[in-house]
Amino acid sequence: MLHGLEMLGSAYLDFLNFTSIMYGLGGAFLGILVGCMPGLSATLCIALLTTLTLKLPANDAILILICSYVGTLYGGSRSAILLNIPGTAANAASCADGHALALRGEAGRAIGIATSGAFCGTLFGVLCLAAFTPTLAEVALKFGAYEFFWLALFGVTMSGSIVGDDPLKGWLMGALGLLCAQIGQEGLYAYDRFTFGWDQLSGGISLIPALIGAFGFAEVLTILSDPVEKKLVEMKDSTLPRFKEVFQYWRTVLRSGVIGVLTGLLPGVGEDAGAWMSYAGARATSKEKEKFGKGSIDGLMAAETGDMSSIPGHIIPCLALGIPGSAPSAVLMAAMIIHGIQPGPMMMIAHPQFVYHVVAMTTLATFSILLFGLFLVRPLLYVLRIRRTFLMPVIFLLASVGAYASASRLFDVYAMLVIGVGAYFLRKKGYQMAPFVLGLVLGTLLDKSLRRGLVLSDGSIAPFFTRPICAVLAFVTIFTMLMYIPLVNRAVKGAMGRLKGLVFRRKPA
Amino acid sequence: MHSDSSDGEGRASTPRSDFIASMVWIVFGVVVAIASWNMDRLKSQDINPYTIPGLVPGLLGAGVVIFGLLMMYRAWRQGALTPQGDAGRRMAQPGEWQRFLLVLAPCLIFGGGLLGHGLPFWAAAALFVTATVFILQYRERKAAGQLLRGFVVAAVIGLAAGGLITYVFQELFLVRLP
Repeated sequence: MLHGLEMLGSAYLDFLNFTSIMYGLGGAFLGILVGCMPGLSATLCIALLTTLTLKLPANDAILILICSYVGTLYGGSRSAILLNIPGTAANAASCADGHALALRGEAGRAIGIATSGAFCGTLFGVLCLAAFTPTLAEVALKFGAYEFFWLALFGVTMSGSIVGDDPLKGWLMGALGLLCAQIGQEGLYAYDRFTFGWDQLSGGISLIPALIGAFGFAEVLTILSDPVEKKLVEMKDSTLPRFKEVFQYWRTVLRSGVIGVLTGLLPGVGEDAGAWMSYAGARATSKEKEKFGKGSIDGLMAAETGDMSSIPGHIIPCLALGIPGSAPSAVLMAAMIIHGIQPGPMMMIAHPQFVYHVVAMTTLATFSILLFGLFLVRPLLYVLRIRRTFLMPVIFLLASVGAYASASRLFDVYAMLVIGVGAYFLRKKGYQMAPFVLGLVLGTLLDKSLRRGLVLSDGSIAPFFTRPICAVLAFVTIFTMLMYIPLVNRAVKGAMGRLKGLVFRRKPA
Repeated sequence: MHSDSSDGEGRASTPRSDFIASMVWIVFGVVVAIASWNMDRLKSQDINPYTIPGLVPGLLGAGVVIFGLLMMYRAWRQGALTPQGDAGRRMAQPGEWQRFLLVLAPCLIFGGGLLGHGLPFWAAAALFVTATVFILQYRERKAAGQLLRGFVVAAVIGLAAGGLITYVFQELFLVRLP
């Protein structure tokens, strides 16, 4: 305990220097700019900055990436409030109430509430990050191949179930991601799978070009094919954060912080789930339910606190288990690996100080967004006035550089193009990219864990179901999928109804 | 739950489009499963039979087939094969496809042809940005009688973007460019 506090203190001291603070502010600044622009996601921002920071020392590079991650999600609330278009998917829950406030002439107040909610939410998440990552990593040391197999499958299943409207399409995308991860040399015998004699495919599909294709190029195509440009709401009132309202809605802030961190812990669920669930929680407990969607302060505060607190929540499983909580944290994890830090249960043994460094980096990011929220709201909004016909070709240019730079392979640019065009059409048909990305990240882990597990058990699948953690994960994963079969769904609902009836009848007695 | 697909007016997919998609998924899953079954089992290396390379891809292929069948059943139950099976489909906005192809073509030419094939990065980048900005604004500029001005603006943005990105990535952050 004391040793942990000592390392935490030392980590904070490591970042209290001019260079680190400038890197942090720069990362947050770029993040806010990208977040402000509708369609440009945190995933794209981190992926592009990963390539830009390749030659920097690991701590500086990860600091920039974390600050840009926090900045992007915070910046996304601006366009949600002023344009009624979420800057990132995570800010969608802020649209209804934020834009309604803006239309009433309270755009500045809405941005102030978003700033205070974002600051409190991230800070709460940072506390959880510092408290739970070492504990979870310690528990994860007991995990074997069987547990990791289920964790990978659980992550993809949950992501498919929760992200988007159609779980079936989510699972198909998850399976597609897992299959794409099987392309290239497999990990046990270096056997080439699905390479069709093409040497370039032996290295597999790299994560960063795939993410840039799915989230960057596809978005450029989507934005530019839509001829309608939305009008910006003018902002006349003060944009200063309203901490008085934080005290007034402290229950909402605390509840949304907890919900955000808990959804963040679920692999592959994404920040938008934190925002929507917090919003639903606030609505369920509010005395002014009728105001939700029409400019509710409670609703806006809940959505912004929930999505921001889920950021540190997503980083926890990423560091402790090596399983990212969202698409942006998947890129963050890839960046850590590029810089020689392998996230996972061994991290607390191999790089114990790094976990505390991440806590310090996230704290710096939190204060950076507060600083920009206090002093630089209006100048940063000029980015919203840039015409997308000017901006998007430049974004594509950056996407091409980003895809190429991580491995200096032109093949990665081609992969980015193919994935981007595919993602454009799939998104048009209601398929989500987050399960695909998670499948791509976890495919190798799933493959190795299943085969290693089978070797250890000499072909028996019993340990995959009988070990306690495996049993829980297997039950949730299989049950979630079975519930989609109408026959099973009806039977379970019928049984639940009968059980409720029994309990209800017994209660008066 | 929020969906990040750009639905616009109408539904992103209809029972009929899901039915067709399910057939594609089933065929894809079957092809993957067959390819995995036929994958080398490395018997010459005397490996443990539970670690054959085709095991996981085969299971995933089977999974895709099952999900595809479920989707087909659902679409059929929703009336995919009835005359109303395609009702409520989101119609493309006027000019959407044209704009899509206008954006896609320069991106593919730049990424697939110009990049890394002899032309310096800054020049290829400037060429791409100038052409794309000019093409996307062509109608608007032509209607306003500002074609030359439009080209100059596009060229300035193109040269600035090409030069700045090359400088920041290559000189400042020492990243190798194509």
